[in-house]
Amino acid sequence: MQGTGEASALANNKEQTVGTSVAQSSSRTRIVSIALNTFREAVRDRVLYNLVLFVLLLIGGAIFLGELSGGQEKKIITDLGLSAMLIFGVFIGIFVGVSLVYKEIERRTVYALFAKPVGRAEFLIGKYLGLCLTLLLNTVIMGAGVSLALIYVSRGWDPLALQIWPAILLIYVELMIVTAIALVFSSFSSPALSALLTFFIFIAGHFSSDLKTLAAFSRTASVRWLFTALYYALPNLANYSFITQAAHGRVPGFQQTFVVVLYGCVYISLMIAIAAMIFARRNFK
Amino acid sequence: MTLVQTIKQRLSQDIALVSVILIALITSVALSRWLDSRRPPIDPSFEEEKLYLNGNTAKRLSLGFNGIAADWYWMRSLQYLGRKMVNFEDNNAGQLSLNDLSVLELRLLPSLLRLSTSLDPEFMGPYELGAMILPTFNTDEAITLLNYGIEHNPDAWRLYQHLGYIYWQLHDYHKSSEIYGKGARIAGAPEWMAEMSARVAAEGGSRNAARDMYRHLYDESKDQQVKELIARRLMQVESFDERDAIRAALKDYQTRTGRCVSSWKDIAQALRASQLRIDAQSGAPVDPSDTPYVLVKNGCDVDLDYPRSKVPYR
Repeated sequence: MQGTGEASALANNKEQTVGTSVAQSSSRTRIVSIALNTFREAVRDRVLYNLVLFVLLLIGGAIFLGELSGGQEKKIITDLGLSAMLIFGVFIGIFVGVSLVYKEIERRTVYALFAKPVGRAEFLIGKYLGLCLTLLLNTVIMGAGVSLALIYVSRGWDPLALQIWPAILLIYVELMIVTAIALVFSSFSSPALSALLTFFIFIAGHFSSDLKTLAAFSRTASVRWLFTALYYALPNLANYSFITQAAHGRVPGFQQTFVVVLYGCVYISLMIAIAAMIFARRNFK
Repeated sequence: MTLVQTIKQRLSQDIALVSVILIALITSVALSRWLDSRRPPIDPSFEEEKLYLNGNTAKRLSLGFNGIAADWYWMRSLQYLGRKMVNFEDNNAGQLSLNDLSVLELRLLPSLLRLSTSLDPEFMGPYELGAMILPTFNTDEAITLLNYGIEHNPDAWRLYQHLGYIYWQLHDYHKSSEIYGKGARIAGAPEWMAEMSARVAAEGGSRNAARDMYRHLYDESKDQQVKELIARRLMQVESFDERDAIRAALKDYQTRTGRCVSSWKDIAQALRASQLRIDAQSGAPVDPSDTPYVLVKNGCDVDLDYPRSKVPYR
């Protein structure tokens, strides 16, 4: 069982750790151990393979769809491939993310795990990083599929095959944000409700600019404050939508990409902190 | 139960299951075909019902998947246009004129192209197709579409090329020249844009101007469908020149002999001198689609061979 495996790995790691900052390096080691175990378990999950395979088939299908596109094959492949990557990545992030904690509680492996010197926050962060690693692998495989499809329809090298990767990076950061939100909900709620709420946040995150518009047009101060607060509280996922531009061979500017990735990191840290706070107070009985 | 008996039992179960699967598949296919054959045709008024989504609404509903939504409406445009053309050709062979597509009743096409470009303003395919097709039945929509494209893509000189082409088709050579001139000033625009501006101003209605216009459109277009349409226009222009040469040969023969030709052999030499391509079997000159021309009006005139010829009639 995963919890036992992680506990053993941690015990081994603890014995090997030396040095003055034992507590700090142990914490890092514990997080890495949990992350790697989460990753190993996730890649053994058949659902993941099926989803990735489905996306690859979809990308392959886009090549045939190009017959109906009037010479716009590359655009169709890029749009369909990256959109599928985002949608299925969100599904993976939500459905695996919400069960990360729940599974441990259901199997009662949390008791064995927290009997060891593992902090609840370390557990959460390790789980989260493990799933992010899984998402990274899936994203890279799907991105490679899109690049190969572009090379195939171009009958040779196409610069678009490389130009889409900055957009793929933004998609990956968006998936990490959605997964972090799933983790927050899963730290106190059931998987079904967590999945639903996370999906709503994903949709709301793409509409968040409308909240700003609503705030600007509101006559009442309290309503204006509410919409403004919601605008800043919800993740602004529209920042990560670069699929349409990528299909035209455009690459996001370095400064814009840096700031957007930084925003993602800050937001993820906020979500992990909230999840850790809630999880620390959770009673497993 | 022995191992052999277990295997035999499993095998018989598998055979039974496979049989059920096959029978079910065949039955479902047969039932689907029966249902399809008895499905009442869609009321034409429903088929042509106005799209209830405008660009902004569609953008919102696409949740950031604007590109794929734009592709969807683009493919719908192509399927819609193709279906209309095929249905018309099936019932009225050889009567479709590229100069007047109002007979196809393409009511939804402007909306579909507008939606596609609203969702993805940088998508050039809809602008190119719109510039070729919309002016034949709705020039206002064509001009609106291209102006929208120019507004959102100020660096796209090709859109000026297409807008200039639309005004040229309207015989507004002054406006066409002005637009070509504006496009020529954009960084990256080819030199021929300035040449076209001058040519259209000087001889807008000439066949040479038309030939150059179509040739540049063909060379610059990346869209296969649009290229095919332009190629047919080019064939039409070439065919006008060829028919003029043939008519000159026919008139010369009539002047010399006092009668019209009885066959192509009568003017074979004149046709060869005009450097027209000749069909080896019939001796008839062939049109740009490699279909032999036909003698009409008892050998006094020439025409395209419909419906065999792929050269647009009008």
